[in-house]
Amino acid sequence: MKLLALLAVAVLAALPWIVGSYLVTVLIFIFFYAYLGQAWNIVGGYAGQLSVGHAAFVGVGGYAAALLSAHAGLSPWIGMWIGGALAAALGAVIGYLGFRFGLRGFYFVLLTVAFAEICRVVALNVDAVGGALGLYITFTGNPRQFQFQDNRAYYYVALALMLGSTALVRSIERHRFGAYLTAIRQDESACEALGVDTLRVKMLAMILSSFLTGVGGTFYAFYLFSLQPNAVFGIPLSVEIIIRPIVGGAGTVMGPILGSFILSPLAEISRTYFAQGGWNGLHLIVYGLLLIAVVLFLPQGAYPALLRLVRRRPA
Amino acid sequence: MDPTLIGQGLLSGFLFGGVYSLMAVGLTLIFGVMRVVNFAHGDMMVWGMYLAWLLSARAGIDPYLGFVVCAAALFLLGLVVQRGLVERIVDAPHEMQILLMLGVALVLENAALVAFGPDPARVRSPLSQATLWLGPIFVDVARLLTFGLAMVLTAALWLFLARTDLGRTMRAAADNPYGARVIGADVRRVYAAAFGVGAACVGAAGALVSPILPFQPTSGLGLSVTSFNIVIIGGMGSLPGAFVGGILVSVAESMGAVFLSPSMKELVSFGLLIAILLFRPAGLFGKTAG
Amino acid sequence: MSERRTGRGTDRRTFLKTAGAAAGAAAVAGFPAVLRAQAPTVKIGTIHCVTGPLAEPGQACRLGAQMAAEAINAAGGIKSMGGAKIELILGDTQTKPDVARAEAERVINAGAQLLMGAFNSGDTAAIVPVAQQRRVPLLVDISAADPITANVAKSVREGQQKVQYVYRNFPTGTLFGQRAVQYFTEIFKEAGVSPKRVVLMHANDLFGQNQARGFQAAHKAANPSWEIVEVISWPEPPTDLSTEVSRAKAAKPDIIAPITRPASAQLLLPEIAKQRVDIMGIVGPGSPGLYEAGQIAALKENLEYVMSSVPWPNFKNPRARQVAEEYVKRSGGKTFDTNSGYSYDGMFVLADVLERAKSTDSDTVVDALKKTRFTGGLMVYGGPIFFNEIGDNPNAIPAMIEILGQKPVVVWPKDVAAEKFVFPRPKR
Repeated sequence: MKLLALLAVAVLAALPWIVGSYLVTVLIFIFFYAYLGQAWNIVGGYAGQLSVGHAAFVGVGGYAAALLSAHAGLSPWIGMWIGGALAAALGAVIGYLGFRFGLRGFYFVLLTVAFAEICRVVALNVDAVGGALGLYITFTGNPRQFQFQDNRAYYYVALALMLGSTALVRSIERHRFGAYLTAIRQDESACEALGVDTLRVKMLAMILSSFLTGVGGTFYAFYLFSLQPNAVFGIPLSVEIIIRPIVGGAGTVMGPILGSFILSPLAEISRTYFAQGGWNGLHLIVYGLLLIAVVLFLPQGAYPALLRLVRRRPA
Repeated sequence: MDPTLIGQGLLSGFLFGGVYSLMAVGLTLIFGVMRVVNFAHGDMMVWGMYLAWLLSARAGIDPYLGFVVCAAALFLLGLVVQRGLVERIVDAPHEMQILLMLGVALVLENAALVAFGPDPARVRSPLSQATLWLGPIFVDVARLLTFGLAMVLTAALWLFLARTDLGRTMRAAADNPYGARVIGADVRRVYAAAFGVGAACVGAAGALVSPILPFQPTSGLGLSVTSFNIVIIGGMGSLPGAFVGGILVSVAESMGAVFLSPSMKELVSFGLLIAILLFRPAGLFGKTAG
Repeated sequence: MSERRTGRGTDRRTFLKTAGAAAGAAAVAGFPAVLRAQAPTVKIGTIHCVTGPLAEPGQACRLGAQMAAEAINAAGGIKSMGGAKIELILGDTQTKPDVARAEAERVINAGAQLLMGAFNSGDTAAIVPVAQQRRVPLLVDISAADPITANVAKSVREGQQKVQYVYRNFPTGTLFGQRAVQYFTEIFKEAGVSPKRVVLMHANDLFGQNQARGFQAAHKAANPSWEIVEVISWPEPPTDLSTEVSRAKAAKPDIIAPITRPASAQLLLPEIAKQRVDIMGIVGPGSPGLYEAGQIAALKENLEYVMSSVPWPNFKNPRARQVAEEYVKRSGGKTFDTNSGYSYDGMFVLADVLERAKSTDSDTVVDALKKTRFTGGLMVYGGPIFFNEIGDNPNAIPAMIEILGQKPVVVWPKDVAAEKFVFPRPKR
């Protein structure tokens, strides 16, 4: 298994020198969304606390790094950690309010949505952070400003993010923390009865998840060069973050990666072949049908289904 | 602060609350009975609006009459979605349910884009511009009518749930699905009916609101979020909750627009939502979880 | 070739087409160099938001660009390049910046030698780095946010980038504001009235805020005899504007200056009429929603006499009238206006650049771009199309149009006016 993983990483590392810039960009987004999905996976997949407001952390992290870079000249290489910390602070607030007050299931979902929407409306209306215009980052291609002239440099950053977060999640899964998370997801009351401090465990998960997502916000800002409140705090981004781990298998290590490798290419292909004709929107109908199909035929996610398939073959 | 402005804001907010209530009624029914969160709620409502627009533009039927057809069409859609999709994932993990309804929402939104194009549409009803003036304050007749119809619809639904067999079975299934099965209720049929009736309400709401609100295929998301807010604040599964919640949210937003900046009025409803989630998560009229 | 199951219910033809096309795409995508047909064509990546919340203007842009390319090809293509035809590679940003970036890369990979797009400023901003990184000239046909070109210019000035590849043929937010204030003052003077109180009402989205800021900044700089007494904004799209209009009414306006989108215009204008706000007129500093065919059909008499300072085709030019007629047919009844018009002109500007550059080499094209002096545009311009040191065209100007007889007509400046304006509007 380890050999297979090493081989896969080696292939991925070599790819940018073989394929064209367009595929490199597609892969960058696959890795980046897998990273965000992995971050979400910690609190949404393993701990089962469904957040549909993770875009708020992307936004907070991205805006923080962008503003620090523009106004204080602080390199985003440092700014990203500050952005992550701010996002983690927000995550702590949301987590505390949600968990302390016993919000589960859909109620927690709506709490996270409400906070993300509040961030969005505030960002839209506060001129100091750009208002509805958002922030535009000047393209310099200067690596000190977390910008690269060559697309391939971004590729390696995104790849590192994805691999790093996956290693982290795998490590969590193997330690007690991971066991607690899974146990809380399955039966929180039983956990409490056994004396587990579920509040503390969930808070940790939330803070870690939001921190990582906030760091991701910096990558978003310095790869897309603009931060628009509706795009970066909005529900559609939160949805993009969660569908990959859900499709791939929430609460599994490979889930977000597999989900991203399935969904991103499907979206690209769907757009390339169904969006040329006169029927604008057809490619999104196809994409929606695919999501529905995944739910109906792979109700546990793609990765568990893949495992089952692999195990059925003779050794 | 101009007292006329405050008075007008209160009245406009109150009447518009009828619109909000209509939006929320169908959602609260579906959730109350099935515990399924219909993320496609707003997009279903947009289809109700487009159907009303078709009836008005092609057949000349006023939406205040045509809403019955829209309700029927959406009832069928609800049945199809429920039987074909939702039923299959009743026992699946929560995130799968969310994903399913998100997929349905995406399909509905873009089907509307393909079918009707991206331009905002609004149904013209002769009442659209009618106003009644009470001194310096005016009453928007179209909204008054919608408010009245919202009350009637909510009352009718209430009666349905309280007096008919099917309705009572729905309530039983909502309270205790296992127990309902034990006493012989066909829970599958009840769920299908509940989703269908909920969808019908959404369709009717869309039609009745179509002369008031311009709509586009992408309007669904905003409508969904607002409806979720109202349903939580009022209490999931509670019809009076949806009604009162709608009015409360609308008045709060209106006051937000009067006293703060109108572009921040959404903050008021989200603030209200968070307050309810923290201090009374069951909502104003909801039963506190046992 | 690899089989790919594409979900339930795919008929064989679609499946084969998709599999074959996918195989083809995989083959092409795998090669970094451009492998394309030997026939002389110039590929222009044309990227707009044809789905998502801004689908309506995005689709108009795309159609304008397509019609222009067809017209250029019908007239013989790029003659200096042996009659090379223009081939459009279409992209959809879905009104999302990450998709916009991916689309830009995709069309370049498919052979695009030039780019045009993308309407939504956020999407355009995401494409700018691709243009700079891949050294593909980008002509922004529509996007008003100043930083899009200004940031690149700054970057080149400071030596961080060698060449500017991004140019814009559209008024910037600043220019919109300056012209609007100028037109307001001139029209009031010409009408012989002196309104004092203007209430600015705007959609609180990117375009709305940009316009509002530009308008207020220009007003401050010009210091005319009329004041902006209140600024009211709303989240776009709104569900209800009654309180906003009540607030406007309470400010006792002589003029309401709206910056809307089609959805909010459909709520705002009837509300102003319903609440019987007594004003001299509704004069907008420039926004969509106040002139489109669909809007006129939806709003009817509520839109009559409404003015808006928007980029508009110069219908004194017979070619513009011809194109407009064709556009009505091709679009199913829509008006040839701001968006379709500027995309149309944008394509012609690129054709002119190619004629002079005689090649698709990036730096040659940029040199030709910088020397542009194009007079063949269909829109109202203040002079020939050229690009200044920031990359913008200061001659891309709006014109004040007014809905008269349920049709939008240019009423100011005088030299391009089709009719005389009606202001103040008649009492009801």
